[in-house]
Amino acid sequence: MPTQFEAQLVANRTLGGGYVVLEFSAPAGRLDGVVPGQFVMLRGAWGRELLNPRAFSVLWSEPDGRFAVMLKAYGRGTTRMVAMQPGDSMTVTGPLGRGFPPPGQGSVQLLVAGGVGLPPLHLQARVAVQAGHGRALELFYGGRNRDDLVLLDDFERWGIAVQCATEDGSVGARGFVTVPLRERLLQARRDGARVEVLSCGPTPMLRAVRALALELDVTAWLCLEEEMACGFGVCLGCAVPVHGERPYRYCCTDGPVFEARQVRW
Amino acid sequence: MSAPPRTAALPRERVDLRCGFGPLTLPHPILAASGCFAYGQQFADFMDLRRLAGLSTKGISPKPRFGNPLPRICETASGMINSIGLENVGAEAFLRDKLPYLSAAGLSVWVNFFGEDFDGYVECARLLDAGRGHGIDVLEMNISCPNIKKGGIEFGTVPEVAHRLTKACVAATSLPIVVKLTPNVSDVVAMAQAVAEAGAAGVSLINTITAMAIDVRTRRPRIATTYGGLSGPAIKPVALRMVHQVHRALPQLPICGMGGILSGEDALEFIMAGASCVQVGTANFARPDASLRVLDELHALMAELGIATVAEVVGCVQPIEPETPWNPAAASAPDAEAGKR
Ligand SMILES: Cc1cc2nc3c(=O)[nH]c(=O)nc-3n(C[C@H](O)[C@H](O)[C@H](O)COP(=O)(O)OP(=O)(O)OC[C@H]3O[C@@H](n4cnc5c(N)ncnc54)[C@H](O)[C@@H]3O)c2cc1C
Ligand SMILES: Cc1cc2nc3c(=O)[nH]c(=O)nc-3n(C[C@H](O)[C@H](O)[C@H](O)COP(=O)(O)O)c2cc1C
Ligand code: FES
Repeated sequence: MPTQFEAQLVANRTLGGGYVVLEFSAPAGRLDGVVPGQFVMLRGAWGRELLNPRAFSVLWSEPDGRFAVMLKAYGRGTTRMVAMQPGDSMTVTGPLGRGFPPPGQGSVQLLVAGGVGLPPLHLQARVAVQAGHGRALELFYGGRNRDDLVLLDDFERWGIAVQCATEDGSVGARGFVTVPLRERLLQARRDGARVEVLSCGPTPMLRAVRALALELDVTAWLCLEEEMACGFGVCLGCAVPVHGERPYRYCCTDGPVFEARQVRW
Repeated sequence: MSAPPRTAALPRERVDLRCGFGPLTLPHPILAASGCFAYGQQFADFMDLRRLAGLSTKGISPKPRFGNPLPRICETASGMINSIGLENVGAEAFLRDKLPYLSAAGLSVWVNFFGEDFDGYVECARLLDAGRGHGIDVLEMNISCPNIKKGGIEFGTVPEVAHRLTKACVAATSLPIVVKLTPNVSDVVAMAQAVAEAGAAGVSLINTITAMAIDVRTRRPRIATTYGGLSGPAIKPVALRMVHQVHRALPQLPICGMGGILSGEDALEFIMAGASCVQVGTANFARPDASLRVLDELHALMAELGIATVAEVVGCVQPIEPETPWNPAAASAPDAEAGKR
């Protein structure tokens, strides 16, 4: 059940490339059992100028109440957030939304991440490793250059296979992450192996992943970003176009994770 | 400037928050606004719903409606623009699936409603009349939504049309009809008068202000429908002005005020401008318990200012005292230049 609570910033860790991890302390138990892909709405002491909270995927959470998010300065809210100092507080609402399907259900999960889309997939990997399903995951990680690829050492420590792609070719394959992903999906088809794709990142990347998954008839789960005002199903602002009996679903309550085929892109 | 009234502070328990709104008596003046509280359920995770005086539901139409394309919302300075498209479950599903929960919570339920055309409004009022005695207290008729196309604008902007529509809806139900007016008119008093004369039990003021935002990088509007409705603190001064104008012209007409209320002081401003009760809208998105915070702050503020009842301050705002008229012939004060020497 989501609740609203106050959290204090404990650490603001710079990862390079403009990415930061904000670590918070909060009352114990509030984010227990968070599913990778679920998110929190965060709002600082922003006065009357910036009204609405911002959505962030949970990077990790501990039973003692500590949790972290990862972000990059983007607009007005995130610019304030990356400048936060330990001791600053934020109002948190969560956990919200529906996350990714759990690992270890018989398919190998191919995690496809780009930019600030890494956190839910990082958490998926962490949870899988803790449950002994580390071998059932692989990471495909795309960025413009070396600086865009962060927290790779965690995946290495967890023993998860990683394939990178950068637009400038500085790390891994040159081009988009769908290049190595296509190869992997074709190989799985040749081997008759069961795979599914879990992806989060910039919308152009998600569109490309979706197109590839549809082309090769692979199940893909996309963690989408829409403008949100409330995050808990009230404003109806975060509509996602879908196929099916209704033209729209809601990113905050039906998602943010949607099956690629369902999304009307 | 006139001195503020000097009233001794009161202990909180001496403040009586009860208020009247036309035929209703409310435990206090704070309700949640339409479209910002859905049908209430989502808020039970975060607050005790029973502490609210009431809520206005998401706008209900005779048939269910799907909403507008996205993007539907964007944040602007001290506010947000929305174009949700009046998405709702429809009158029948509302009565069956949503109303029982709300009436069990013991709130004053105001059902915000609209139709896609004249007959649609009347049909909706008639359908919702079935909720009389099952929890519905008020039908709040939204003649002000900027987000539907078919003739919706005329209902909210042409006094004769609003009069006819109100009259027809009043005849279709025995529930009190409160008409929610749009600020997108040049003479809001004429609109209030037209619906009051047609039998409206009160007016809600204001709905969102038609607005726009542009993404200069893509050269596109930030809202799919190009224009949407602005809400939040950015619109509060406009809302207050309209509440004040309507109250001065029609002091007997109950007004439910809204537009950018975030604090108890905001609520008290609306009450002093002439609102008998208020609704809290956009503030609920950041804080689901925003209305209760407004309530607690209003309570504390009334105690601090020595205000014992809501009724004694409804519309109490007085004009600033006129200056002493200028008399060029009278002895002049030593001017600044002279003072320097
Ligand atoms: C479920 C979910 C999870 C998220 N998780 C993360 C996360 O883990 N880390 C992270 O850094 N971010 C995440 N985001 C995105 C984050 O919420 C946005 O970056 C943030 O809302 C932008 O806030 P801002 O105040 O910096 O920008 P604003 O000042 O609000 O934005 C400036 C303008 O840019 C536009 N805009 C805002 N966000 C986007 C966007 N994402 N894409 C395109 N245009 C946009 C808006 O129209 C806005 O007018 C997530 C979003 C969602 C919906
Ligand atoms: C997302 C959103 C949806 C709304 N939907 C409705 C609606 O269905 N019917 C209605 O009469 N007003 C609707 N409103 C207007 C509000 O009820 C209120 O009049 C307005 O937002 C001003 O108050 P605020 O500044 O406190 O939000 C909506 C406002 C917002 C922000
Ligand atoms: S963000 Fe408000 S309904 Fe999804």
